[in-house]
Amino acid sequence: MTTGNRLKPKNNSKGYSVTKVIAITGKGGTGKTAVAALLIRYLSKKGKFILAVDADADTNLPETLGCENVKTIGDAKEFLQAEITKPRPDNPDMNKESILKSKVYEIIEEMAGYDLLVMGRPEGSGCYCYVNNLLRGIMDKLIVNYDLVIIDAEAGLEHFSRKIIRDIDDLIVVTDASRRGFRTAERIRELVDELDSNVGRIHVIANKVTDANRDELAKLAGDLKLNMIGMIPLDPKIEEMDIKGIPLFEIPDDSIAAVEIENIVQKLGF
Amino acid sequence: MAEFPFEISPMFEGERVRKEGMFVELGGPKSMGLELVRAKPMDEIEDDKVTIVGPDLKEMEEGKTYPWAMIFNIGGELVEADLESVVERRVHDFINYCQGIMHLNQRYDVWMRVSKDTAAKMDSFEPFGKAVMMLFKTELPFIEKMQVTFYTEQAEVEKQLEVAKEIFKARDARTKDLHDEDVDVFYGCTLCQSFAPTNVCVVSPDRVSLCGAINWFDGRAAAKVDPEGPQFEIAKGDLLDAKTGEYSGINDVAKKLSSGEFDKIKLHSFFDSPHTSCGCFEVVGFYIPEVDGIGWVNREYQGMAPNGIGFSTMAGQTGGGKQIVGFLGIGINYFYSPKFIQADGGWNRVVWLPSMLKEKIAETIPDDFKDKIATEKDATDIQSLKAFLQEKNHPIVATWAAAEEEEEEEEEEEEVAVAAAPMMMPAAGFQMPAMAAMPMMSGGSGGGIKLTFKNAKISIERLIVEKKEKK
Repeated sequence: MTTGNRLKPKNNSKGYSVTKVIAITGKGGTGKTAVAALLIRYLSKKGKFILAVDADADTNLPETLGCENVKTIGDAKEFLQAEITKPRPDNPDMNKESILKSKVYEIIEEMAGYDLLVMGRPEGSGCYCYVNNLLRGIMDKLIVNYDLVIIDAEAGLEHFSRKIIRDIDDLIVVTDASRRGFRTAERIRELVDELDSNVGRIHVIANKVTDANRDELAKLAGDLKLNMIGMIPLDPKIEEMDIKGIPLFEIPDDSIAAVEIENIVQKLGF
Repeated sequence: MAEFPFEISPMFEGERVRKEGMFVELGGPKSMGLELVRAKPMDEIEDDKVTIVGPDLKEMEEGKTYPWAMIFNIGGELVEADLESVVERRVHDFINYCQGIMHLNQRYDVWMRVSKDTAAKMDSFEPFGKAVMMLFKTELPFIEKMQVTFYTEQAEVEKQLEVAKEIFKARDARTKDLHDEDVDVFYGCTLCQSFAPTNVCVVSPDRVSLCGAINWFDGRAAAKVDPEGPQFEIAKGDLLDAKTGEYSGINDVAKKLSSGEFDKIKLHSFFDSPHTSCGCFEVVGFYIPEVDGIGWVNREYQGMAPNGIGFSTMAGQTGGGKQIVGFLGIGINYFYSPKFIQADGGWNRVVWLPSMLKEKIAETIPDDFKDKIATEKDATDIQSLKAFLQEKNHPIVATWAAAEEEEEEEEEEEEVAVAAAPMMMPAAGFQMPAMAAMPMMSGGSGGGIKLTFKNAKISIERLIVEKKEKK
C-alpha cells in the first residue's frame, strides 16, 4: 500500500519546524512555576500562541495560571491502559491512537489565548511502552499547532528521558539565592548531557534576588560557568498575591518581576 | 487533482481547532458522532456522490454542536467486508489531512470540529466529502468506487447508530474469531528492545504481546502507517509445527532480532524454544517440577507463589529478552487464546493462579477446571498444592501416577535421572532443558527390573545388565 510518502508533512521533528520548545526547571521552591507563569503571561500577551505544559508531578502551574480541576495526561494514559489491557477487549480492532488522541485533546484546557496541558500523576505498575509510544506521536503532531511550548518541568526531567516531548530548544534553570539552587543548576546541566533528547541552549535565571546578594550571585554563576540571562528581584507584589490567593497570571505589567521577565524574553530572542 | 476550497496535507493531522476558532462541533463528548465504512456491490455505488441528510454547513449556527454520522460505501473488485475496518481506521487520518477540520476518536465516539476559516470557504459539506473520498481512492487504490452520506439530524443519526452498533457487534465477533491460521503475516514489536536487546516480540491473532497492549490488529494498523516504526510485519513463512506454533518466518526474525542469540521461537510452547520475555509482561508463568504443573502470577499480586517467590523476583529472573525455560511472560489476553500453551497441555497443565487473576479471567477457564486450579487461598507451598491437586483430582495427578508406574518399571534409569536432574526450584538463570521428558516423582524402591518398550525405536550399541549389588 502506498501510504505516507506522497503527502509527506513539511514539518516533522527533524525537519522544518516553527515551534520552539522551552523547558523551565530547577530545585523545588526556587519559584520555577512562577517564572513559567510569568513567561507564559508575557509571551501570550505579546501574541504568541502557547501550549503551556505542566510536567511536574506536584502540579502547581494550573493554579498559578488561574485554572482549577484540570484533567491530566496521566488520567488519559490510565484510561487507555485500562481499556487496552482488559483481559478481553470488546473491540480488539479499536484504533488506540485515535482514542488516546481524543482523550488528550479533551483534557487540553482552552485558556484565553493559550492552551494548558497537565502531565499529572506518574504511571502505574504495568508496561507503558506502547501507550508512551502513542503519546509521543500525538505530542509531535500537537506541538506544531503552537508558536511556543513552555514546560514547567521537575528537576529530574523525567518526561524528557521518556521522550514524550523529544527536543528542547531552550532549557531555563531557575535558582534562588542558595548555593544548593546553583548546584542543582549544575547537576541539570550534567543530566542534559546524558539525555537522548536534543537540548539547544541552557540558561539560568536567578529568582528572589535582593540588592544584598545580587553581585555575589552573578559571581557564583560566573564561577560555575552558568549562562545567567536574568535576575528576578524579590517582588513584594508576588508575595502579596500569593497570600491573597490571586493567580500570578494577574500580576500588573509594571511590577518589578514582570519587567525583568520582559528583559529576559528580549535576551532569549522570542 | 480536483480543486478543493481548503488545503489538504498530512501536516494538518494534529491540527487543533480551538473553541475560539471553531465554527461548529460535530458529535463529540456533548453529542453523538458516528463513522462507518461498508463494502457494497459496485452497481449500488454512485461514485463520488455526497448526500447530506439534515442541515448542511451553511444552515448550521455558529458555535453550536450537532449530531453527526458519516456512512461511507466502498466498492471494488478487491473490496470485501473484512476490509471495512481497515478502511474505517483511515477515516481519522484522511479527515485530519483537511485543513481546519479536526477529527478525533472512532466508531460511535467520533468528535469533529470545523474551523471558522474553513467554514468561510465553503457552504456545504460536499467538497469535504469529495476531498476525503479523493484521499481514500488515492491512498487505497483497491477502492474503485466510493460514496458518502452525512447525517446531521438527531433522529437520523440515532437510526444510523442503531444499525451501526449491530454491524460493529458482528464485526467484533468476527475479529475475535480470527486465528493464526487465518492470516499470512504476524507482527513484531521492538519497543522493549531498548531495555531487553535480544527480545523478540511476536504478535499473532492467537497471541497478544507480553505487555498486553498490542494485539495483531494494532500491529497491522501501525505497520501500514509506518512500516519503519516499532511494529512491523513478519511473514509467517512455512508452518513447521502447528501444535507448538513454529513458523519458519518467526525463526528467521528471531535470529535477526536477537542478533543470533536464538534461532527458534515457538509461539505456543512453554518448555521448548518459548517466546522471549521482555520484562514488562502482565503475567509470568513458572514451572513447578514437584507437581509437573505450571503456575501463573500477575504483576499486581503482592504475595508469594507456591514456589516461594513473588512476581518481582520471577520477573527479574525471566526478563531481559531471554528464553528462560521454566518461566514464560505473557499478556493476560493469552489466557483467552485457544492455543494457550497448547504444546504443553494448555489448561491441563495449569495448577495455580492468584485468586484475583483467577477471578479476572474466570470466563476463559474451562468449566470442569475452575475448581481444580489452586489459588493462594488453597495452597501456599508445594506440600499444600500437591494435596489440593490430589483432592480435586486435577488431571496432572494422573500423570504423576503414570510417572510413578514408569519409574517403578524403569527404576534403574530413574535413579540416574533423578541424580542428574535434582528436584529444585527454578532459580536465577536456571535453564531447564527438555523438562517435559523429566521424570517427576521419586518412586518407591524395590528389587529387580522390568523393562517395557512400547512403540519404541531405539538403537543401542551396547547394553550391559548386571546383578544389583547388595549392601
